[in-house]
Amino acid sequence: MPLDTSTYSLALLRLDGRRWNELRRLNAQISTQAAADGSSYLEMGNTKVICTVTGPAELKSTGGARAGGDKADVRVEISIAGFSGVDRKKRGRNDKRVSEMQTTISNAFAQSLFTNLYPHSSISLSLHILSQDGSLLAACLNACTLALIDAGVPMRDYICACTAGSTSSYSSNDEQADPLLDLNGIEEQELPFLTVGTLGNSDKVSVLVMETRVQVGRLEGMLAVGVDGCKQVREILDQVVRKRGVKILEGSQL
Amino acid sequence: MAPSASTQQILLSPAELSYLHTSLSLHPPIRPDGRSATDFRPLHAETELLPGTYGSARICFADGTEAVVGVKAEVEKSVPSYVGHGEGGGGDEEKGRNEWVEIGVEIPGMRDDDSMPVFLAAMLSESLLADGAFTARLWINSRFHWKLYLDILLLSQPLSYPLPLLSLTTHLALLSTRLPKLKSEQDEDPLFDDDWDASVHLYPAGSAKPSVTLLVMAVKDNIIFDPSKEELSVAEVVLAVSIASDSASAASGGMEVDSGAGRQLTLLAVRTIDPPSRLTHPGVPNSLNTATGGTAAASLEQENSKREGLHEEGVWQPPRGGAKRKLIAGMIAKVLEKGGVGEEVLDGLDAVELG
Repeated sequence: MPLDTSTYSLALLRLDGRRWNELRRLNAQISTQAAADGSSYLEMGNTKVICTVTGPAELKSTGGARAGGDKADVRVEISIAGFSGVDRKKRGRNDKRVSEMQTTISNAFAQSLFTNLYPHSSISLSLHILSQDGSLLAACLNACTLALIDAGVPMRDYICACTAGSTSSYSSNDEQADPLLDLNGIEEQELPFLTVGTLGNSDKVSVLVMETRVQVGRLEGMLAVGVDGCKQVREILDQVVRKRGVKILEGSQL
Repeated sequence: MAPSASTQQILLSPAELSYLHTSLSLHPPIRPDGRSATDFRPLHAETELLPGTYGSARICFADGTEAVVGVKAEVEKSVPSYVGHGEGGGGDEEKGRNEWVEIGVEIPGMRDDDSMPVFLAAMLSESLLADGAFTARLWINSRFHWKLYLDILLLSQPLSYPLPLLSLTTHLALLSTRLPKLKSEQDEDPLFDDDWDASVHLYPAGSAKPSVTLLVMAVKDNIIFDPSKEELSVAEVVLAVSIASDSASAASGGMEVDSGAGRQLTLLAVRTIDPPSRLTHPGVPNSLNTATGGTAAASLEQENSKREGLHEEGVWQPPRGGAKRKLIAGMIAKVLEKGGVGEEVLDGLDAVELG
């Protein structure tokens, strides 16, 4: 689907009316499901994700001998609903793109969680994508962070993620290209973008995924904008967690 | 029919099962959560929560189980049918086919070809398609029709048998489903109004409603509605009963009074479900226990045959054999009864605000 993004240079406004450094509306709820150990619901624009955490629980080992190592196993299961996209599309269990996202998320949280506190156990994250409009991996990472906080799994800091792109495509080789923050679905189809996740307030990058081609000169700008966006995301997630904390405190005083 | 062994592990001892069974067979039954036999668990429902779908709904039960249903539609070319075309073709107009609806059930931790999702999808589609009026709504003209995809997601672990939850959510999602308004006429290629505000409901207000499947179980002669997981583990009979309110009476009832007193329920489908109680371990009566002065049976057959004769109070025995016809008839009658549970559920669902 060819898309005309050349109008950006006229008013410096993107297709949905945002400026280059503006996030979409980020809305999150924590502890949405009573039956799960931890759960969260996150909206980044029109991307909607539900995450539930089970565990830390005893490993269900299928083969008797392999009883897990001295660290907890982080398992991620992503299911993309058939109705989530524009056209109805059913994805198989072993879709390559989905399994790569699962590995990325699992690796990221295996580093940031104190998995050594739970030997021989597993923490399973299950993600349901109800609606997708860009920044899928970033939304999943943010939802997982919130659900893990709800489940009370000790972690070093939040993993906050967002995407960053560049205003012109690789082939147009435009020198004037500006970096963009938090791309939506239409922009993602057209423009080069990366997903970056940082650990808390620091500039430490824990996740960086890029699947499109871009001139190496633009990469630094994109990364800087992305890391900056992650800090904004952290603020929002932190407020959600604090609001929940205040609610729990009020409940306990009664 | 549904092999529920893998999903519904019963972590109750024979003594606990026996206690539960006894209290459920009292008159009136005492349920673990203090409900009466016909009470439903409270639920939260909302519709039209996903803007990218034609219709969607979400229901949360109080025990934490949660389901989301999204409906997507596509225009598809009809395969010409040669059956019945010879007789002028006037008779079989606006007739739907069952392939026009595709239902998929997704349960976390299960593959989509596992027996449980497949069985649930089959049961749900069976009751939805039973009246034949549903697929007729998808007819556009003799060359085109809507293809409806119903994706049913269970978001939590299946704590109790999820059939009623999924069925109620599907019901609400179908009620909230809207399709674009048709602008073309007759057998032209279909052209639709691109104004979403002008779209028409798949089930317009006042017309017949999609079916609802309820779970009913019996312990001795007590009929219990909306069983929880623990209650299912001692059930002797479990039935899935699909009902719908009659279209004609619903319309006239709406005209007379808005109390819904004129609602006439029709039975669409009944399925027996293999109760998970059959997989439980039996208790050991004193007469078969060497520790209490009895004599243990030499072989498994002997033990079983001895147990047949025993009906000791307080010793759990998994139910054997089928259900009595009278009991099944009683269960169905109780669902369809005027002012009964079926009506109560449909009234409750009507109260959910659409849009």
